[in-house]
Amino acid sequence: MELILYVILLAFLFEMMDSSAGMGFGTGLTPLLFLIGYDPLQVVPILLISEAVTGITAGVFHHEFQNVKFSIKRPITKETKIMLMIAGIGCFAIFFSVIITYYSLKLPKDIIKVYVGILVLFMGIIGLIRLKHKVRDTYKPKLLTGFAALAGFNKGIGAGGYGPVVMMGQLFSGIYEKTATAIVSLAEGFVCIVGVASFLLISSYGVTIDFVLLPSIFTGGFLAAILSPYIVRVLPNNIWKLVIPIYAISMGILTLSKVFLL
Amino acid sequence: MQMEEINLQKNVFSDEVGSIAKILDSEMTAFERMKMTRHNLIRVSGAVIFYLIMMLIFAALF
Repeated sequence: MELILYVILLAFLFEMMDSSAGMGFGTGLTPLLFLIGYDPLQVVPILLISEAVTGITAGVFHHEFQNVKFSIKRPITKETKIMLMIAGIGCFAIFFSVIITYYSLKLPKDIIKVYVGILVLFMGIIGLIRLKHKVRDTYKPKLLTGFAALAGFNKGIGAGGYGPVVMMGQLFSGIYEKTATAIVSLAEGFVCIVGVASFLLISSYGVTIDFVLLPSIFTGGFLAAILSPYIVRVLPNNIWKLVIPIYAISMGILTLSKVFLL
Repeated sequence: MQMEEINLQKNVFSDEVGSIAKILDSEMTAFERMKMTRHNLIRVSGAVIFYLIMMLIFAALF
């Protein structure tokens, strides 16, 4: 077993942001690991396996540190229902996305990624404008369902950006920032379980997965998944109101730069 | 004020989304929110043990 220090640090950093701002583990870490020289089959399934564990861990600790109240017994809380709805749409989307990739269906990937990059960038900017105007909506479940469907559609056609769209969608739908982060962390955990299952299905048809990065990414990601919910709890919500849209803007720029620079 | 006391005093079973986080933010300072309960520490210890077991499994597999 090999532990690679810079991979541990990168995984820790991006999982810290993912579990506290609800986005960025896949969008941020994947292109960096590609740039370092790792292959897609060394990166993508390993990130899915790691995020499945770290997403659920972060969700459990968000609940433990009272950023959210999930329930497994009746009465089911609204937060749990929202998480299940987001996770359900995401699970369907990631399965569809992996199947598309496997059958190499020809979709205009660059155009789709530009669309998602602009969408995320735009949502981040709107988030900052809303902050300036101190908009605080009441909870709008129909709007949230629409954003979850939009995020699922994007992921389903292989464009990514699921975390940023669903995270900003929650904020636009009136969900408290700390709670929105917790919901998306746990939902992503469940989505990644389906992603892993889809990859294992593909690997049974002859695609080989390289596990060399798993111990390093798991180490960085898992430690961040414990620490991040604690930091979310301690820091005032006003900080997350600012950090989340700014980070969404940076993810939008990163998505666009991947298309135009890589 | 201890978290458990807040839970008793406030209606944490409120169906409002995010009510528990809002209550903590409004009732406690950031410094008070830093304090961990015994239950929190047990959960963190459990997670660390889980991590160590996973690393042993990875060491055996890879």
